[in-house]
Amino acid sequence: MIKETAQPQAASEEPRIGVYICRCGGNISDVVDVEAVATAMQGVAGVVAAKVNTFMCSDPGQALIAEDIRNERLNRVVVASCSPFLHELTFRTAVNRGGLNPYLYEHVNIREQGSWAHHSDPAGATSKALRMISAAVGKLRHAEPLDRIRLSNNRQALVLGGGIAGLKAAAELAGKGIPVILVESSSSLGGRVASLNEVYPTETDASDLVKKLAAQVMNHPLVRVYSQARLAALSGFLGNFDITIAVEPKAEAGPAPGVPLPKPAKAEEVRAAVGAVIIATGFDPYAPRDGEFGHGGPQVTTLPEFIRELRGRRNGELQWNGRPVRSVGFLHCVGSRQIEGVHAPQADGKVNDYCSRTCCTAILQQALDVKRRFPQVNVYDFHQDIRTYGRGHEDYYRNASTAGVVFLRYHGDEPPAVGPGTNGASLTVRVKDWLTFGEEVDVPLDLLVLGVGMMPRNIRDLIELMKLPVGADRFLQEVHPKLRPVEVSVNGVLLAGTAQGPMNIEETLAAASAAASKASILLGRESVELDPFVAEVDADQCIGCERCFPECAYTGALVAEAATVNGQAVKKARVNPGLCVGCGACVAVCPTRAIDLKGWTLSQFDAMVDGLVAGVPGVELKGREHARQTH
Amino acid sequence: MASSFEPKILVLATVACAYPGADAVGKAHLEYPANISVFRVPSPVLFPEDFYLRSYARGVDGIIIAACGSDCPYHNAYPKLAARIDALVKKMKTGGLEIERMRITAICTVCIKAFLKEVNEMDQRLRKIGPVNRDTAAKLWEDSRRGMCAGLNLPAIRRPEPVPVFA
Repeated sequence: MIKETAQPQAASEEPRIGVYICRCGGNISDVVDVEAVATAMQGVAGVVAAKVNTFMCSDPGQALIAEDIRNERLNRVVVASCSPFLHELTFRTAVNRGGLNPYLYEHVNIREQGSWAHHSDPAGATSKALRMISAAVGKLRHAEPLDRIRLSNNRQALVLGGGIAGLKAAAELAGKGIPVILVESSSSLGGRVASLNEVYPTETDASDLVKKLAAQVMNHPLVRVYSQARLAALSGFLGNFDITIAVEPKAEAGPAPGVPLPKPAKAEEVRAAVGAVIIATGFDPYAPRDGEFGHGGPQVTTLPEFIRELRGRRNGELQWNGRPVRSVGFLHCVGSRQIEGVHAPQADGKVNDYCSRTCCTAILQQALDVKRRFPQVNVYDFHQDIRTYGRGHEDYYRNASTAGVVFLRYHGDEPPAVGPGTNGASLTVRVKDWLTFGEEVDVPLDLLVLGVGMMPRNIRDLIELMKLPVGADRFLQEVHPKLRPVEVSVNGVLLAGTAQGPMNIEETLAAASAAASKASILLGRESVELDPFVAEVDADQCIGCERCFPECAYTGALVAEAATVNGQAVKKARVNPGLCVGCGACVAVCPTRAIDLKGWTLSQFDAMVDGLVAGVPGVELKGREHARQTH
Repeated sequence: MASSFEPKILVLATVACAYPGADAVGKAHLEYPANISVFRVPSPVLFPEDFYLRSYARGVDGIIIAACGSDCPYHNAYPKLAARIDALVKKMKTGGLEIERMRITAICTVCIKAFLKEVNEMDQRLRKIGPVNRDTAAKLWEDSRRGMCAGLNLPAIRRPEPVPVFA
């Protein structure tokens, strides 16, 4: 029977393991009996030192590890402390300072997933800490020193999209001395912002903003702009992307808003090599279905259309389709914050359950603008909630109230109904108004403006081509919303702006700057370094069954190499470490366990399971008797 | 089943979603039983089914795969994982291992309630059905290894050398 873990292969030397247990100033040691855990670990074969320290992350704590590596000739180190998200890197670096490979280190979380989660069960928390440290010791027995992956670097960036996000990113990269290829699908720069008038909260003219950014890009010798172009092909990896840009001149109906680009002379394909890609493909405004809140009728429009139509109309009478407008209504959350069963699903069967974030302030800005320019017009605002969350945005809400905009509040599951008008009005909005405790109100209007939200653009080709991760909301998804907010799981690919989700102009420009900074860090080096946690094939163990190839979703990550096994011609697998993302899909199907993820091998996981269930045989820990119940 | 039985529950939590989700529970100082332990994994799609069966054979009473679901950062990994676990659960069912011992779910970085619900439910279920039958699991493990190597003209399954982990 399989009862124990496999012998570590090619164990370079007998393990001499150091175990360090952090009190975290009481955060851990008030619950976990850290001294008892250390004593128990001292009895484990291969553990040379097991020590307790009040703050392992402090300078003296880190110095202790480095000293012990030198004095006790440690060749493996475990620190049991807080979550690895806080200090795994700290201790890898400390271990490295001591002269040991940083990947011969294991981090055990006994705070977030120990003392804090089990504070009324000190015995349980202590026993769990011991078992988790045993698991880490087991994993380390199978650890091998790993080298970070080093790749050459094409110090040039590709920016997809010539809206404000793409322009900002391109301008910043070029300013840093990094050449940029900017690909824009239309024949002008400026994107969605080019169609706006004054933009909140600064009330600056959107076209000035676009012109400024476009000038920075177009006048920069390091930026090459391709108009009416798209990314046709991409292969390679961080620092080494080979790209093909297809330039496809086509006739466009009328001049596009924004800063016009020279029309390409002919269709062509341009090949280039870049080190990083910034995706700034933007959003589409939500397009209401025919009949959705009266859409399609002459006196119903969307917010972007309304803004466009009002450009330049400064004074006089507000008219729409030739009819004087005495009453205008703005309806929030059209295509946003939808509820299953209440709203009709989108083409893919899902509802848009997210908030589009920008519409509330944009609507209030327009409502206020109407009140100021056409004071005789009645303005109604139909909302679920008002989310004027940014600096200066609340002023629009306050000023709109003062200016006499009438607010009516509906519940998300009872959206207003749009019907025909009476007494000369074009239409009637019937709303159950919760500001008057559920009174049903009929509001006669001459114009209804639908506050449409943002939709992810149809960039399916790009998603397929680059293997981009898509969130439940169908926008592109970052690795981590807080820790790695502009990176995606594909190394060297960064997100700028609303391709990632609804953002306003300020947020879009901030994201674009972040993406440019991140790209300039990646491209600032002679070579690129990656974490070593990718798949690796042991060619001796590989029998050429080829089961792994169809599992791999990343083109070029698993390379087939001709070989001979038992006199038969087969294809063995080899991993291209620059293209492998380390998901491990191939690992699971290998019959001989020839493939493993470096740093996360199956033998290591087996050993962790063994350590977890066994703990330290013969040791039962009771835990602190007088643990504090709260912190 | 005696109420003193403490099931050993292993949560395989993804680096991108469920592991920070489990951290969030601790950060909120919310509690769950200490017999529940979390391993951090890049993506559980890397585990062959024999890993799970071996874990049961070693005495793990229940496994929760806490994945990213539709938020998975790896292309196509989640559907693949789901299909693999589906196949494993079928084998457990026919092989006489309670399928309640395996649970696959998605836990996001802030899904505190979902995490607590999953681990508590697993704990309560296992306290009712009792410890894992390690021999049944070991037999399933062997069948699984044999099935994986079938038709490949491989030498007999190489069993790992029994080496005591903690002497």
